[in-house]
Amino acid sequence: MVKLTTKKVLSEKEFQLISIREEVIKAVEESGIQNGIVLVMSAHTTAGVMVNEDLECLHVDMEKTLDKMAPVVADYAHSHYLPSYGATGGNAPGHLKQMLTGYEVVFPVIEGKALIRFAQDIYFAEFDGPQLRTYYIEVMGE
Amino acid sequence: MSMVIDVHVHPGFYEKISQDKQEIEFRKKHAHWDLMSPFPVELTRAQMKFANVDKLVLLPMDLTTSAGGWVVSNDQICTMVEEAPDIFFGFASVDPYREDALDVLEHAFKDQKLMGLYLNPSKQAFFPDDPMMDRIYEKCIEYDKPIIFSAGMSFCDDCLMKYGKPLNFEPVAIKYPKLRICIGHMGWPFIFDTAAMLLKYPNVYADTSMLYMDSPEQFMHDVFMKQYGRLWLDNDLGDKIMFGSNNPRFRTARIKRGLESLDIRPETLEKILGGNAERFLGLEVK
Repeated sequence: MVKLTTKKVLSEKEFQLISIREEVIKAVEESGIQNGIVLVMSAHTTAGVMVNEDLECLHVDMEKTLDKMAPVVADYAHSHYLPSYGATGGNAPGHLKQMLTGYEVVFPVIEGKALIRFAQDIYFAEFDGPQLRTYYIEVMGE
Repeated sequence: MSMVIDVHVHPGFYEKISQDKQEIEFRKKHAHWDLMSPFPVELTRAQMKFANVDKLVLLPMDLTTSAGGWVVSNDQICTMVEEAPDIFFGFASVDPYREDALDVLEHAFKDQKLMGLYLNPSKQAFFPDDPMMDRIYEKCIEYDKPIIFSAGMSFCDDCLMKYGKPLNFEPVAIKYPKLRICIGHMGWPFIFDTAAMLLKYPNVYADTSMLYMDSPEQFMHDVFMKQYGRLWLDNDLGDKIMFGSNNPRFRTARIKRGLESLDIRPETLEKILGGNAERFLGLEVK
């Protein structure tokens, strides 16, 4: 059996980690699936889904480290006029940060619950906000 | 402190006025927008809060005689201003070739209380000094409404840039010294003609909604610090240039970021980000 939940989130900053742990736990419990896996996936290429510990200091470190790896201003090839958009690509850092952090996470589902450890918070990771974003929670199993 | 005002926003994908898919396709085709989709006003609020922007000037475009429709109508602008009067200023548009152009304008200024007029000479295919424009300029003066002209390069395939060159506005500036006009997009790439117009005519302004081909920081630096002399904004043009983004083609926050990265005096930046717009729009306490 497969149960798909589509969720929306409105980010408020260019870089923002938004906890979606409770949404994932709830979706698994409501799916009726007892054993299997749950996939949590971003619907975008400049926003990801990642797992890490919910500590403010770590959020700061993550943002600063990602900014060093993909700074706001640099000689990005993506920053050119894109006729298919009618606009100039201005979000190369967002694409690169999403590539670095990934866009999906997977957890086991055992006896109707997602096997998420205490320190494992699940984040919708915005790298190109503010935007209205979509992510998927898909529970697969029996 | 002045408000921070983005004077050049096309609300082509605001959800409340984007319910009709055919209309969205019309807008995309005629404004040369593509992979964009409707979004709620809450997102606009979030983006403005993030960018520290107080107001957006929403611009419609009347293409009735050439294309049989509008890229956002005056009525739809009113709908958005009513939806969020704390963040939106609304402009009108009119197709100058309409027989009822003056009626449209009269209604827009008198009844709809729209704050100014947006015209796009390239897209609407007219020269600014065409005699047919006189009645429109006179109506704007009657109601003390400024005009924002799209100028310089047009992204649209079906229009000619010859109509929007900055020097085309010179006869208008001379003939109507009480009419405040804005050379949109800095008239890019004809930025030196724009500089001359700004220097010479007190009633001529320009907005920064150009583009960038690298990053907002690099492009603004190239235009305002290298192609223009380093002190031109601080010493000569700082009272005449207004912050504009051309959203949705370019994000308000990014164009503002580019302006904020310039090595100019803080008071010059404040004028560009809003003080000049307050004067242009007639918001200053007289």
